[in-house]
Parts: sequence; structure tokens; C-alpha cells
Amino acid sequence: MILLEDEIIIDSVTKIFKQNSQNLEVINGLSFNVNKGEFLCIVGPSGCGKTTLLKMICGLDFPTSGRILIRGVPPNPNIHKFGVIFQEDSLMPWRNVIDNVKFGLEIKGINEKEAIRIAEKYIDLVGLKGFEKYYPHQLSGGMKKRVAIARALAIDPDLILMDEPFADLDAQTRSFMQKELLRIWSGLNKTVMFITHNVEEAVFLAQRVIILTKRPSKTKAIIKIDLPYPRDRLSPPFISYREKILKMFHEEIWG
Amino acid sequence: MNKRTFYPFLYSSISILVFLIIWEIFAKFLSNPYFPGPLSVLNALIRIAIFGDIDGYTLIIHIYASLERVMIGFFIAIITGVPLGLLIGIFPIIRSLSLPIIEPIRFIPPIAWIPLSIILLVGMSRYAFLIWIGAFFPILLNTIAGVKRTSVTLIQMAKTFGATKNQIITKVILPSSLPETMTGLRVGLGVGWMCIVAAEMIGGDPVGLGRLIIKYANLLQTDVVIAGMISIGIIGLCINYIILSLEKRMFKWRVEITT
Repeated sequence: MILLEDEIIIDSVTKIFKQNSQNLEVINGLSFNVNKGEFLCIVGPSGCGKTTLLKMICGLDFPTSGRILIRGVPPNPNIHKFGVIFQEDSLMPWRNVIDNVKFGLEIKGINEKEAIRIAEKYIDLVGLKGFEKYYPHQLSGGMKKRVAIARALAIDPDLILMDEPFADLDAQTRSFMQKELLRIWSGLNKTVMFITHNVEEAVFLAQRVIILTKRPSKTKAIIKIDLPYPRDRLSPPFISYREKILKMFHEEIWG
Repeated sequence: MNKRTFYPFLYSSISILVFLIIWEIFAKFLSNPYFPGPLSVLNALIRIAIFGDIDGYTLIIHIYASLERVMIGFFIAIITGVPLGLLIGIFPIIRSLSLPIIEPIRFIPPIAWIPLSIILLVGMSRYAFLIWIGAFFPILLNTIAGVKRTSVTLIQMAKTFGATKNQIITKVILPSSLPETMTGLRVGLGVGWMCIVAAEMIGGDPVGLGRLIIKYANLLQTDVVIAGMISIGIIGLCINYIILSLEKRMFKWRVEITT
């Protein structure tokens, strides 16, 4: 756990949006590193630019200054393989489960036969075997998230980016999906960046939690969660981590 | 027929029957030779269907002629409206360039184009042009709306996989806008069909449902006029129903398709 190579370097990144000739500084000099195979959670008050950060990491947006490097080069969806799981529903309603999972493979130019084989494998992994021919409107919220996860995993991503993926789910499904995510992640050795504003979720999932300040955000603290998986939400060390991070989080919200 | 379809069917049948009875009573009461009741209209319809009109053309020939014209105009409206709608929806520059021209033209009713088309056009092109004018705008506008309604999240999702602009258009924007385009086709064909009378008013040919109406209006035989009008209405209804069931079959994934 000590000598992990730096997978992603976020180096004094600043992002300014121009809005009606006014400058809105969302991120100001944010720096941190992500290690290979790590499960990293980013928590911060709403409006602190978490989603903007994620978009910059997967090449949908660009820093105003500073740089982001993934294995030494700036993010580029043609070089890096990103598995992004969005907060909103991102399934194509006209495609059934297997065709949705195949989508990334199609874009990457994998041949049809191979794509179906891979898609079936990941549909099985996320526990949706038997639902291949179902359309999104026939699935529950949790099942749709599983499809999105399978689609992200199917391309064998270098990096999995998750933007509050479980925020819209009910508490029970959410807690179940968190366990499922850890089960899936533990077998794959993938780097995961998970954005949330739910501190308990971060402590439950992450090896490290990065706490962002309020806008314009930078790193407030990086907390290593030194607890073995699976974690017990009621155990004293879990609660003590949670309280520690919540305290910092609340400092940011209410100053 | 199960319970769920039986009652709507029963109610529509009752409604139509009551309407026809009231119409018949009203016609009897009025006893005006130019206001026929449903029975004499039905009689006229059967007469035209079997023996043909004053020129010997039967109802089926009129229907076929009208359908052919509408289909030609409609086809031209598809091959112009859909691509232009996609281009306008996808490329803001094309939108900015074309909307100042298209928007005012949209509010000129098809009838206002009649004098010009009499002067400038002949034969089939007259019919096709007027029907095209009617069908083009619903197709264009719905296609644009379909492109615009494509979810931003889906486009971003495709980009994170490294999709090219072409892939985004063919794999995301096109399938996503297709239901709306289909709605545009349905509405466009409906409007095109409704333009048939106007189009045939100026066309010289002796066949077509619109021509049939005009022919018998000149003879003051209103029973045939109404028979022709009802034929136009029923055929329009059938066309709408056919496309609607096609839409429902094609877009099962879309929960809301309204009539």
C-alpha cells in the first residue's frame, strides 16, 4: 500500500466559468494524486465544482489553468478508457440492456461477436443475467445503475468515474448498491473516483476521502480510511471517521 | 374483444349512431334538397362506388388518384424536411441561416400558394407542391424538436467513450430524435391529405376526391359532395391509424405515445 504509482495527477487546477461577463471561479488551485487501483471518494458541499472536476478528468471540459495528467498525458477519451457513471439516467431508452452495455465497445470498434460476449460477462457480473432483452423503462432505478456500471466496465476502463451515482436511489437500494459496487470493484483492481456529498457513503466505500472546500474549491483535507472491507457502519472506528469528516464538511458549509 | 376494448367500442358506436339519427331527423325536418340526410349520402356513396360519377370514374379511381398525389407530395416533404430538420437541429449555424427564411414562410397557409402555383406549375407538380407545402413544416419542426430533445447526458456519455461527431450523430442523435420525426411524418401526412381538396381545385384532371367534390358542387348535388368529404375524412383517419400503430410498434421503449 505504500509505493503505488500515481495514476492521475491533479496539479493546481483552476476552473473559471464566464457568465454574463462575470467570472465564476469554481475551482481554485486544486491538487491531489490518485493511485493505481485505488478507490477514492471526493466529498464537498454542493456547488463546489465536483462535477466540473469529474468532467475535466474525463476530457469533457478543460481547466482554465493548471493541469491534469493521466499516466503522464492530459485526459483524452481516444487514449484513455473512461468508464463514467453519471448521476442522471444515462441509458439509451431505445436500446435494451445488452445493447446499452455494448455501446462503449461499439464506439471502441470491437467486433459484434466479441462485444456480445463481453457485454454478457459484465451483465452477469452486475447481477442482471436474464434481463439482457429488457428495455430501460422496464427496469428499476437500481437496475439501471447496474446497467450503467456494466457498460462502464465492459470497455475495461483505465479509470472509473462516478458522479453521485446512487443519489437518486432510495436508502435501501443505495446501501445495497454500495455493497455491490465494492464486490464488483474488489474483483477487478480498477481505479475508481467516486463523487458524493454523502459522508457516510464515502467512509463506507473509499480507501481515501478527499474533502473539498466550498467554492472556489481546493483540497481541504485528505483522509485515509484505514478499515478493512467489508465495513461495519456501526463499528466505533467507522463512526469516528464519519464524525471527523462530517465535522470538516460542516465547517465548510457553515464556516 | 375483451372488456377493456369492448366498452370504448360500444360507446363510439352509440355516439356515431346517435349522431346519424339526429342528422337524419334534422334533414327530414328541414326538407331542403341541398341538405341531404345520411341515408341519401350513403346512397350517393354506393352509387359513385359502383357506377362511377358523371364522367364514369368510380370512387376507387378518385381515391387512388388522390392518394397517389398526396404520396408524391409527402415523399418530397420527407426527403426535404427530415434532412433539413436534422441539419438545423445539429448545426447552429445552419439554424441561424435558415430560420429567418423558413419561419415567415411557415405562416403562409397552403391556400395562399394556389394562385402562384396556377401560374407557375402544371400537372402533377401543382398537386405535389401544395401537398408538400402542407406536409413539409410539421415534418421539419418535429425533426428539429427531436434533435433538440436529445439528452445532453447521453451525448456526454458517448463523448467519454471517445465517440466521434459522426458516431454521436448516428448512434445518439438520430435514434433519439426518430420518434419525434415519426410524429412529424404522421402530422405532415395528415396535413398533406387535408390539402388535397385545395390542390385538386386547381389541377385540371377529372379524377381525385377533391375534384369529385368540386364537380358535384357545381351540379348542386350535395349528397355526393358530402359522400366525397366523408371519404376524405375516413381515409385520413385510416392513414393516421396506420402510422400510429407503426409508431407504437417501432418505439415500444417510449412509454408515452399519444394519438
